[in-house]
Amino acid sequence: MRAALLIAGKDVRQRLRDRSALLLAIVLPLVLASIFGLIFHDVVGGHVSFAFGLVDRDRGTAARAFEAQALRPLERSGLVVVHREASVASARRGIEQDRLSAAFVLPPGLTAAVRQGRPVELRVLGNVDAQIGSQVARSIARTFGGRIDAQRLTAALLGTARGAVPAEPIAIEDVSTTSRQLDAATYYAAGMAVFFLFFTVQFGITSILAERRGGTLARLLVAPVHHASVFAGKLLTSLALGIASMTVLALATHFLLGAHWGNPVGVAILIVTGVVAVTALTALIATLARTAEQAEAWQTIAAIVLGMLGGAFFPVAQAGGLLAALSLATPQAWFLRGIQNLAGGAGPSAALGPAAAMLLFAAAAGSVVFVRSGRLVAP
Amino acid sequence: MKALAIAATDLRRLLRWRANIFFLFLLPMLIILLLGASFGVDSARIGIVGDRGGVLARQLSAELAAGRATDLRRYGAVPDLERAVARNRVDAGLVLPADYDARLRDGRTVTLRYFGRPDSFAQQLRATVQSAVADQNRLVAAARALARARHVPFDAALARARAVAATVAPVRVVLTGPDGSPFTGGSGRFDRGASTQLLLFIFLSSLTGAAWLLETRRLGIARRILSTPTSTRTFLAGQVLARLAVALLQALIIVAGSLLFFGVDWGDPLGTAVVVVAFCLVGTGAAVLLGSVFSSEQQIVAVALLLGLGFAALGGSMAPLEIFPRTARTIAHVTPHAWANDAFSKLIGHGGTLATVLPQVGALLGFAAVALTLAVWRLRRTLTAG
Repeated sequence: MRAALLIAGKDVRQRLRDRSALLLAIVLPLVLASIFGLIFHDVVGGHVSFAFGLVDRDRGTAARAFEAQALRPLERSGLVVVHREASVASARRGIEQDRLSAAFVLPPGLTAAVRQGRPVELRVLGNVDAQIGSQVARSIARTFGGRIDAQRLTAALLGTARGAVPAEPIAIEDVSTTSRQLDAATYYAAGMAVFFLFFTVQFGITSILAERRGGTLARLLVAPVHHASVFAGKLLTSLALGIASMTVLALATHFLLGAHWGNPVGVAILIVTGVVAVTALTALIATLARTAEQAEAWQTIAAIVLGMLGGAFFPVAQAGGLLAALSLATPQAWFLRGIQNLAGGAGPSAALGPAAAMLLFAAAAGSVVFVRSGRLVAP
Repeated sequence: MKALAIAATDLRRLLRWRANIFFLFLLPMLIILLLGASFGVDSARIGIVGDRGGVLARQLSAELAAGRATDLRRYGAVPDLERAVARNRVDAGLVLPADYDARLRDGRTVTLRYFGRPDSFAQQLRATVQSAVADQNRLVAAARALARARHVPFDAALARARAVAATVAPVRVVLTGPDGSPFTGGSGRFDRGASTQLLLFIFLSSLTGAAWLLETRRLGIARRILSTPTSTRTFLAGQVLARLAVALLQALIIVAGSLLFFGVDWGDPLGTAVVVVAFCLVGTGAAVLLGSVFSSEQQIVAVALLLGLGFAALGGSMAPLEIFPRTARTIAHVTPHAWANDAFSKLIGHGGTLATVLPQVGALLGFAAVALTLAVWRLRRTLTAG
């Protein structure tokens, strides 16, 4: 046991001196997580703002009602910035130059049509490069249209010329930005952390192959050190580096980027089981490879393929069916699921399911590794 | 030509290693499959909770489900729905309170909770939900007014309101393009997903191939070539040609595969081809620069991942440029990805041609030129310094 700890200690010290270890384990994921944080911060924090154009060809009470009821509350809350355009042509130019996400066109005779109960059409000019903004503009127009509809129907029903504006019985409350489950910044922070874990744990296990090439492994085995201790020492290195890197990332992204990882105990459980699973998989590849280069190549392939399948780069779950099922064959997917479960504010028990799945991976890969470990730790 | 001979030797060495065959051919095909399956979904999916409560609730959800491009799924409890939205199994969720019908009949207000992902599908669904709700709103509001004024029971008033509603035309809201043509929006996720992921993959793959140039240096091949009457520029041209060939082949596999198997629209063929070639040149240039500057494989892998993933994220290849705040979108143009994404946006979204994307192509070629010049300078210094 002492031999294993000594080997692990020496390896960790060696890796810390080697700058590329720090780069891969901490700097890289942190930089990438910051980039995602920068991108998603404003969207998640609800600070998105759209620039809309308004072409008022009606100049009547209906147009003023549109501005007052539909646009002004949104302008006050900062969601919308309204630019009054002189004509449809200038609004079109604004959209093509990408100054506007969309433009409302209130047709001439709108007020008269509303008053006389004739068909009314509100036009929204959309910007193909601003899909979200265009849809939001359509929503705004639709809401306003809905109020006119209610007013007209009430008037028709009661036989009066103009009904009072009835209160809306049904309201929609958009709680997207307050729902922690949708925090993309946290998701990507966790995704990058678990993706780079594959490279971090290589420093332990795969170094056996490098030592074999360098000749130090033979010398180690000549000493009164059991090959199991060497193997255990290398494993410990992987585990130590992996857990340290994930912990630093979790803390850094939490304090620096405001990522919400969830209940600390739950996160700790996920980190430990995740590192164990990834270490076992990396060790499996190392035992199957013949040279260090081959092992590194296969491990990079595994990192990318499992990372993609597990959903670290783009959402695979929405594919449903076979692909979503396949993604569950990766430890990355289970780790991210665990983080999502915890992000909703759940207690540590929410992490137990994914943790068990990852331990299953570790057990399956680990059993093969232990059978072949004798062959691995050989000169 | 000497450069071609150098390129050919390089490629032969590359292909002798079986792992590279995976990277070169199988991985792009895997990516197409993943992308097609993930993004090839055409309709917007919405999850709903609490629509079985009463007649009005069921009618609301029926109207939502009736939408052509909407796929409605029912969930038993709110946490299940929240998880489904978070896991991307549906694009948005709508929660109806259990006493929906009772509250409406009593004259009280009802608040529906809506939550969606920050993408255009969720916003599209929001508009659909608003339409359906607006419809019920006008019926219920009118029915209440009638019930109050004429002292009839609510259900009778509602029936009357429904009958009259058929004769009162609702306000139409029409979303068009700036010139009045139909709005080409939500044209399938995959069309945008394919081009952005193509850029991510090509750049990342090219950069990780920088390790090969390092090997060439380490084995002494580079020095031996330069000891013959071969200029550094020719040697580098050979390296660039080899890598460019690989990148172009990978891009071809992805574009052709997604076009044939999933019917992805890549826009004007000539424009797309030029943008793809220009971007491959940038990736190649960056890879050769990396291979000239660094001296250890670990460093190259680390920097390749950092630049490959970092640029992709900053440049709009992971989250679309559209949701970037204004300043971030300007900063994004530090990366070649942002320019290429802009070009694809013009080609695919606006039906542009080569002429429309010439500025973007120019920018990409500029990136490539800078990378290659620096690579030549650096390699010459490294190899002749001893």
